[in-house]
Amino acid sequence: MSGRTLDVNGRKVSVLEDGSGEPTLYLHGFADVHAVTEGWMPFHEKLVESCRLYAPAHPGCAASDEIEYLESAEDLVFHYLEVIDALGLERFDLVGACVGGWAAAELAARHPEKVRRLVLIDASGLFVSGAPIGDIFMMSHPVRGTDYSELRAMLFENDQTPAGHALFPDGRAENIEDELRRYQMIRFTNRFGFNPPYFYNRSLRSRLHRIAAPTLVVWGESDHMVPLAHGEAYAEGISGSNGVKLVKGAGHSPQAERPEDTAALVTGFLSG
Amino acid sequence: MHPVQLFCWHFMAYPHLPEDFDEKYDTGWVTVPNSLWDSEKSRGLFQEYIDQLAYADELGFDGLVLNEHHQNIYGLMPSPNLIAAALTQRSSKAKICVLGNLLPLHINPLRVAEEYAMLDNMSNGRIIAGFAPGGGPENYNYDIPSVTSRERFWEAVDLVVRAWTDDGPFNHEGHYYPLRYVNPWPKPTQKPHPPIWVPGSRSASTLTEVAKRGYCYFLSSRSHGGETYKAREQFSKVLEEHGDSYQPYRMGILMSAYVSETDAQAREECEEGVWYFLRNCLKGHLRKEGRQLTFGAGVPYIPAPAWKEFLKHSDPNRSMLGDVNDWDELDKAQSIVVGSPETVHRKILDLIEKSQVGNLLIQFHLGNMPGELALKSQRLFATEVAPALREDSARVFANAYPRMEETLAAGAVA
Repeated sequence: MSGRTLDVNGRKVSVLEDGSGEPTLYLHGFADVHAVTEGWMPFHEKLVESCRLYAPAHPGCAASDEIEYLESAEDLVFHYLEVIDALGLERFDLVGACVGGWAAAELAARHPEKVRRLVLIDASGLFVSGAPIGDIFMMSHPVRGTDYSELRAMLFENDQTPAGHALFPDGRAENIEDELRRYQMIRFTNRFGFNPPYFYNRSLRSRLHRIAAPTLVVWGESDHMVPLAHGEAYAEGISGSNGVKLVKGAGHSPQAERPEDTAALVTGFLSG
Repeated sequence: MHPVQLFCWHFMAYPHLPEDFDEKYDTGWVTVPNSLWDSEKSRGLFQEYIDQLAYADELGFDGLVLNEHHQNIYGLMPSPNLIAAALTQRSSKAKICVLGNLLPLHINPLRVAEEYAMLDNMSNGRIIAGFAPGGGPENYNYDIPSVTSRERFWEAVDLVVRAWTDDGPFNHEGHYYPLRYVNPWPKPTQKPHPPIWVPGSRSASTLTEVAKRGYCYFLSSRSHGGETYKAREQFSKVLEEHGDSYQPYRMGILMSAYVSETDAQAREECEEGVWYFLRNCLKGHLRKEGRQLTFGAGVPYIPAPAWKEFLKHSDPNRSMLGDVNDWDELDKAQSIVVGSPETVHRKILDLIEKSQVGNLLIQFHLGNMPGELALKSQRLFATEVAPALREDSARVFANAYPRMEETLAAGAVA
């Protein structure tokens, strides 16, 4: 694994990269690299066995600069177009989790020619009537000052999973940098996800048909933040997808909760 | 003579919560179910609260204070301007201070400029125009992104003030509020515009923005241990950096008081209302119990480096005002002053001497306090505390700020 800092239009962007093979761009979610850990998690370590993985930190996460004017998915897409240029990627595999999945879907709808294969993991971004996305901001306020069980229940299968306790422990984190990372991710998403519409772009659904790449939609079987109906809507709207692949024993963050199963699905699809 | 200005602040709490509210509900804010609202018991509630404020005007308070909250039991004024409008017709001398309109919650700040201008005309120039960005709960109430709410807020403040002072129509080239025609009718009665107050909780950026514009800083903290003194020192320093100087009328603080014939009687009469206020109204706002939304990672307006400092130096287990265990702890927080006229006078004068703050915004009605007790406390305060407090505070300020006369004459009061 190596880290580097790109200069993108005068802004710093931290990127982790590793492995060899097809270039694969990974856009992270909440219980994920850059948002909870400094380096790879077991899931990413599996991926780099069979591809060249690039994982930029979203603006404001890790050592990436914030983008003061960022206020929509549109702004985020143009940021990533510049990151892609800076990395020298022409055509690549694209994998995104949660808001990273939203950004990936937006990119693939705008630039279908750039994306060889697309993987969406519990991606937000769509409006699905009757299936609202859970409020991760409110859950980020602990009960009694220290109790994050409801946040864990939203991000994981339930509030008692080992991954949940390891990544979102109660009270102050032993290493303040870990807690800071989570804050940076919340602050990043607050810029474009908090105001209505909450974590979605109403226009995206009508644009999904433009996505040309074969697509894998992966969902934790009990996602309490982005309900499964969103996965079904992605699978229905993207012609190159083949239904939703469920990860058993996982909630919103299968990459953190079931790294081996999730990585097997993703690598199987990308190399298939 | 320049005495302390005494304001009567009414929050208009919802007083009819069930007795087991604290056990059953994790917050009094944003998500507190409005099925608890009892329409029958609440008949006449606003009338009663408005009567209490009108009585404060009769008693000679210098001002009446209102503020804006949404979807909560702490304050039933989503539109304080409606109450202010009623008060323009129910009061004759007191200033009417709305502290404040929450600008980021308005689609168009021009509406606030218009309503304040109407109120200033309706009250014959008695309006103090407060502006506030709104805190955590308000971000949730109206889905306002916290990260940009301050920028949004200051653009709106500057737009409102320009709308009052520059001749219209003009084009506002704003980021959040671009407007092609800014041309409000009516304009305010007071020239160049009503006094402007902005609340803050000692953040350097708010102090600086307030100082830059010459406005009055209102410390929204409810505890007056060392905080108030520090805030005043901090503000003085910032004012000097901007070529200005501190005098007591540049700052205001919020406190609560209850006055009765004796200390024992005062405590006995107000205790139920005080605990209702602390346990229920502050739950979700200034209590560790339940889910506190006022400050925290979910409302991430603080840049990451400052948040890191906060993480290093704060204790997530710390108690807040609403968590105090007993009356002695409450007394130490110096937030709610309870006692006979002599006791209340002594404690408030002590606070004035230490803080050198010239605007005291005092909450008399607490939680579910019966109206007649709030009226009695206001009356005893106005007749038996205020006269001596005015005299003593004027002496304190004259000693500490010998040049205050000149400063005021130079029109430095915002």
